Amino acid sequence: MKASHVKVCVLRIEGTNCEEESYLAFKRLGTKPEKVHLKQLTGTDVTPEEKRSLADYQILVLPGGFSAGDYVRAGAIFAARMKSRLAKDLVEFVRAGKPVLGICNGFQILVETGLLPAMSGEMTEIPEAVLGTNDSARFECRPTLLRKVNRGSCVFTSRIPPEKISLIPSAHAEGKLMFPLDRSKQIVKELEDNDQIVFKYVDPEGNLSGYPWCPNGSTDNIAGICNREGNVFGLMPHPERVFFRFTHPDWTRSPDGPGDGRAVFESVLDYVTRKE
Amino acid sequence: MSTERLYIPRGLPFELTDINLADANDDELKELSKESGTALSLDEMKRIRDFFSSKGRNPTDVELQSIGQAWSEHCCYKSSKVFLKEYIFGITSRQVIDRGDAGVMEFDRDHAYALRIESHNHPSAVEPYGGAATGIGGIIRDVLCMGAQPIALVDPLFFGPPDYPAAKLAPGIKHPKYLLGGIVAGIRDYGNRVGLPTVSGGVWFDESYVGNCLVNVGCVGIAEKRSIKRNAVKGPGDILILVGGRTGRDGIHGVTFASAVLTKESETESRGAVQLGDPIMKEPVIHALLETNERGLINGMKDLGGGGLSCVVGEIALSGGCGAEVDLSKVPLKEEGLAPWEIWVSESQERMMLSVSPRNVDEVLHVFRLWDVPATPVGEVIKEKIVRLRFQGEKVFDLELEFLTAGPMYCRPCGITKARARMKESTPKVKNRYDKELLRLLSSPNICSKEWVVRQYDHEVRGNTVIKPLQGKLGHSSHGDAAVIKPVEESFRGLAIATASNPFAVNLDPYRGGKTCMDEMCRNLTSVGARPHSFTNCLNFGDPERPDRLWLFKEAVRGMGEVAAALKIPTPSGNVSFYNESQAGSVLPTPTLLGCGIVRDIRKCVTSDLKREGNTIAFIGSTGPEMGASEYYRLVRKRSLRVPDVDIPALRAGMDVVLKGIERSAIVSCHDVSDGGLAVALAEMCIGGDVGAEIDISRMERLRSDVRLFSESNTRWVVELKKGKEKLLPKDRKVRSVRLGTVGGTALRISANKRLIDAEVDKLSAAFNGTLWRLLG
Repeated sequence: MKASHVKVCVLRIEGTNCEEESYLAFKRLGTKPEKVHLKQLTGTDVTPEEKRSLADYQILVLPGGFSAGDYVRAGAIFAARMKSRLAKDLVEFVRAGKPVLGICNGFQILVETGLLPAMSGEMTEIPEAVLGTNDSARFECRPTLLRKVNRGSCVFTSRIPPEKISLIPSAHAEGKLMFPLDRSKQIVKELEDNDQIVFKYVDPEGNLSGYPWCPNGSTDNIAGICNREGNVFGLMPHPERVFFRFTHPDWTRSPDGPGDGRAVFESVLDYVTRKE
Repeated sequence: MSTERLYIPRGLPFELTDINLADANDDELKELSKESGTALSLDEMKRIRDFFSSKGRNPTDVELQSIGQAWSEHCCYKSSKVFLKEYIFGITSRQVIDRGDAGVMEFDRDHAYALRIESHNHPSAVEPYGGAATGIGGIIRDVLCMGAQPIALVDPLFFGPPDYPAAKLAPGIKHPKYLLGGIVAGIRDYGNRVGLPTVSGGVWFDESYVGNCLVNVGCVGIAEKRSIKRNAVKGPGDILILVGGRTGRDGIHGVTFASAVLTKESETESRGAVQLGDPIMKEPVIHALLETNERGLINGMKDLGGGGLSCVVGEIALSGGCGAEVDLSKVPLKEEGLAPWEIWVSESQERMMLSVSPRNVDEVLHVFRLWDVPATPVGEVIKEKIVRLRFQGEKVFDLELEFLTAGPMYCRPCGITKARARMKESTPKVKNRYDKELLRLLSSPNICSKEWVVRQYDHEVRGNTVIKPLQGKLGHSSHGDAAVIKPVEESFRGLAIATASNPFAVNLDPYRGGKTCMDEMCRNLTSVGARPHSFTNCLNFGDPERPDRLWLFKEAVRGMGEVAAALKIPTPSGNVSFYNESQAGSVLPTPTLLGCGIVRDIRKCVTSDLKREGNTIAFIGSTGPEMGASEYYRLVRKRSLRVPDVDIPALRAGMDVVLKGIERSAIVSCHDVSDGGLAVALAEMCIGGDVGAEIDISRMERLRSDVRLFSESNTRWVVELKKGKEKLLPKDRKVRSVRLGTVGGTALRISANKRLIDAEVDKLSAAFNGTLWRLLG
């Protein structure tokens, strides 16, 4: 499949606010992204020309933001709206091996929907994890370094060499990935065994350091995870914000080369174009 | 005194009262003004009485309220206009596209940018979280209604000292620490949710702000030129569609509240004047509005800010040379039972008025429905320049727009007070070493790192922030002078955004202070590689009815205007905020400037952090013994009236030298010299770069060491030159440049024949970074 035939659904509701840069990341690679309101998929208040079907897209993206204000647990409202009307379509999409990307609020939505970590089946009935309030108890916008720990399952990181440290910035108040406390260790081990852990927060030397290198206190410094098949991927940091070098926070010190986030989008495009 | 006999209820199922002005004497007129909460003066009340007498009837409460809004200081600039006309309005350039709710300037051949800054001081002093949040909401609408996509926010804030003793607070005054926490949270929660990066601003502290903190909010937007809209209807027959939030009792009399001095009763009496923000209503409003505008469905639009519907309907209609008929019963309400006058003047948030041709109405309503945003046709544009209102079939308002919008303009008395001229000069003792002074300056609240605040705001959302507010090596950061946004996907052209203010200088010498603010703004923009292009200002001053306060205003505007005119930097929008006073007196006279500059190619931009060991450090500009208003003199408690002046030809030449140096890639880091002088500027560059520097200041002008180190003379920059490219820095005889030293080591060492300062960068960094965390937690 040619890149120009790849249709990307950048899904949004009110309060989704990183759709433009997510859309652009895919557009810059020559694909056909489209900003789609959830109501266009559910068919509410739309004309026949505005109606869309999830099955027509090759990639689904849930961008960052504060969907519906996130006045309850982050991502919960978007997840509930999506799940109540589109559960079947979503499961079919994932089962077909099509990639789903959730960035920041999108990651929170994927966890709330049960599409991540999805340790049993494509989509669990209830969330198996939560993205809790940061240890600092505040919103933090800061550069973060991520070490790729995935051993090859994740289709969004194939272009990133193992153990490479990428600069991908974070901006969130609820990014502390947590599991049921009594089983946390066991779940993390299982995620490792399944190769579901993708990125970990590290310091410039690559060590699993505490705050501020790990901006939220996440379990085992985990920044991003995927499902067992590797086609559903969520992370708190924002790869779309560092598509180019000149939006890196310290780019004036080393201005050459692409942005560290670009590889995420190129990897998934590789996967999709090779697949069909 | 009872004015009861002057209120004549109509006896309708809703509240509507005729006000018998014709039979009211002077005292009663004053009382009526007070009871209505409009703060109209006696002369203004008489003018209204005479107007209605000539019509042979009395005004309704809706009409009197409406005039009160339109004629408030906030809406008609009645005390400031005379000075603004003289010094500022005339500065123009061919690149000014519009001067509407926001100013619009040319960005490139196909694009324009919009900019505006305004105050939200009084609401934030009473209800910090909501006041600040709705300030952001309002300024976004100002940019949006020009047809522009908002792309960046700016927030200069001014507070009392965070460690101010609670026992000293006057009744009704909230503690600075509480205000700061609430205001930062309000900006954070609104700005982050609505998805706009907060890229510039500042936090200043001074005792004068204890009773009346200042919250200024600025916004910048971008649009294709063909999408730019005027805040005007197209013509008769246009349908007025009210979109966004519902209307309620929040924010009634916001403008009159803004046009009076804060008192200890403000907390209880004016709480209702503070609106409630809803970013998750605003965010879809932005989408729906830009989409309908993009599709050419909108003729004109305007935001509902101060005065609510009462101001927007008249202004949008009159700007198009028309009037309007509106049915108030159609306005969607938050609760039942609002009187017509309340609906008419409510300042409930997240509302905009669109003027739409009848054939496009259905399509507009459809887009808003998709985004779940209420959109309701409420009226129609008519040919006569009259506004008529109906409520449940009853005519409640019928006024000629020329009268309603012809607010008074005053030329109030202004003059210097004697106490001001008598201030005594004092000078500190010369010392051998200044390490301690540097550390104390770095940790002073006005200079220290504002990371505590900055990182709570998302400064990267939208993915276009090329130069960020905090700059430095990963894990180390210092303040940048300006932020740069790359607003157009297909182009490397950048828009630089900088904030400047110096209330201390304006207070001591308002004319030079005004010039200083402009100089700082130009320096900041230049430092990242941007040519100053336009600016907008928010002028926060005290009670204009007091001659000494108004004199400060006039002189500051004169100074600012002089520099702006000489450099041909237009100000296509602005805002004046008077009455920033409490029981303790006026705040420092505080003009805040939001400057925009153009960067030809963002890949050439530089930051303030030192880059590489062995590079040369040079100094551009001249230093003088101008210690008045300096941070150093405040620290050592000395006084001088010698506020730094601006040498305009030198400023122009200095900017050229720096810009060319950056464009030729000779300059790899640049920082303007401002608060704390040269020593602080160097320290900040070392902190950001996590590297030391060896500096010799003996080639500077022959001055005392402390003046060389800490003077805040204008038009100065420190630059780091790339090894081998030093000669590419242009020379200009109008501006001095000297070699200071080299980058390297782990300490900042400054000497002039003998050592003056020797401090490890780690120690400087700890002093710089620790303060706000210690004070605010």
